[in-house]
Amino acid sequence: MDFLAGGQEIGLNAVLETREWRQNYQESLEMQFPNEIVIGVKLNIPGPIKTSIYLKKMFLDGWKELLEQLRAASHEILFLRLFLDKQTGPEGMLVVTGKINQIKQLTILFESSFLFGRLFDADVMSQNGDEYQLSRTQLGFEARRCLVCGRNAKFCAKEQRHTLNEIYRAIQKLIDEDNQKSNNLGRTEDLAEIAVTALLYEVVTNPKPGLVDPASNGAHKDMDVFTFIESAQSLRSYFHLAQEIGFEFAGNSLPEMFNQLRRVGVEAERKMFHATNGVNTHKGAIFSLGIFVCATAYLQKNGVYSQSTLTATIKAMLINLLQNDFKEVSKKPKDKLSAGEFQFLKYKTMGIRGEAAAGYPAVFDLALPFLKSTKGNINERLLNTLMYIAGHASDSNLIKRAQSLTILGEMKSWSARFFELGGSQTVTGIQFLNELDEVFKRRNLSLGGSADLLILTIFAGRIEGII
Amino acid sequence: MEIKKTAIAGTLESSDVQIMLSAGSNGFEFDLESDVAKQFGDQIKETITKVLKMYDVKNAKIKVVDKGALDLVIKARAIAAVQRALDIVDAPKWEVLK
Repeated sequence: MDFLAGGQEIGLNAVLETREWRQNYQESLEMQFPNEIVIGVKLNIPGPIKTSIYLKKMFLDGWKELLEQLRAASHEILFLRLFLDKQTGPEGMLVVTGKINQIKQLTILFESSFLFGRLFDADVMSQNGDEYQLSRTQLGFEARRCLVCGRNAKFCAKEQRHTLNEIYRAIQKLIDEDNQKSNNLGRTEDLAEIAVTALLYEVVTNPKPGLVDPASNGAHKDMDVFTFIESAQSLRSYFHLAQEIGFEFAGNSLPEMFNQLRRVGVEAERKMFHATNGVNTHKGAIFSLGIFVCATAYLQKNGVYSQSTLTATIKAMLINLLQNDFKEVSKKPKDKLSAGEFQFLKYKTMGIRGEAAAGYPAVFDLALPFLKSTKGNINERLLNTLMYIAGHASDSNLIKRAQSLTILGEMKSWSARFFELGGSQTVTGIQFLNELDEVFKRRNLSLGGSADLLILTIFAGRIEGII
Repeated sequence: MEIKKTAIAGTLESSDVQIMLSAGSNGFEFDLESDVAKQFGDQIKETITKVLKMYDVKNAKIKVVDKGALDLVIKARAIAAVQRALDIVDAPKWEVLK
């Protein structure tokens, strides 16, 4: 299931231990604040996976909503603690002023005030309350309904009436409906923030062969991780512009939207070179990620965002790209040619332009489904995805540095070897990457093209909620 | 085995069960509280009784507050309560845990 992507299975004992831990924690809060109200908030997720990046984000959204509702009702918050990274699921504890019945009603209304509310569980307790925990029915609300069949949830749970897959499907449906609803409202996320996050996620992922990461500069002598941080920050305003162009565009010729984007892209390159003292860190990302941001904003504005509309929109934006860009290339002086243009003349490869004009199949057909299937922490998932991309896509940066197409076959076998060794979740896999980094340094190789595709995959993965 | 001290395991959260064991002299004396007692009361008692017998406990007062726990949760909580009551938390009876 998408909403569990990246989550790890845990055992029953971990769940039971956390419950006792939680009860002790809440009891100690009740003793500390005997005249106030303790609220415990968590998610109701059945099955052996209790947390994921998506669920944490969802929890935070709900948590913020609850805090807002409490403040709006003039309850003072005396204690607040978030446990976002527990393997048994994100949760939080609050102590607030007020009467227990008021607060319980507020939390029940909170649970029904937004679609995901059904997945939240807010327990309200007080040492000096008449009832230790008030049930919904005691307060005149109906009992919780089952997600799958709508009957009293208590009985469905007790009799295990539904399979885990049925329940997962019901949850995923709820999430999809919510996404659909917010898309239709024309709500747009801050895509520029997500774009900068994608750039930073890529650079901190390590150990990457040949590429700059916090532990190694790879085969690059003129830049380090700090150069990349400066570069990523310098591009924030460009991504805001890209989002604005997509959001505002009302014409019917999508190549015109791309032309507008390209004009601000030129300025973004200048800014990047200024921030990095003339080093090319993110030129490929300015091109591709700018297109992603712009096209996503355009689709969200029109309430029709999906993976397939995104790839179709990109294709439509770039319909003239190959023709325009390669038309005059043979007349260009050799020292003015970009790596992509040079390789087009020498090897007849289309490089990132070909990939882009085809709607980024390497991202949508290869990398994104792969990322979705990965397990482990973010670094492990991104390392595996990078090596998968490097083994399957033709990296024009790699070709440029190797000055030969045969490097692609070598790269394929390195990637296969890495996965044979167990990938990023094994000591031998990581050791292999470190050795490969040495080989890349010695032969002055790097994976700039694959890194760009990883950045795009992270961005799209974020929008899709799988990372 | 004689229960040496009163012990408690589990919580009052939904899908959980809280089991309190204390010394008794008259077999198993249940005090069960559950929203689903009518339908599942006997099943809950049976699960706990089985665990107590596995530990050779003959007499106990058993207070159960069930919040809709699944059978395997009831079993795990019963095991934890017995081990705490018999003071064998550090030396669990592994064959029972299967």
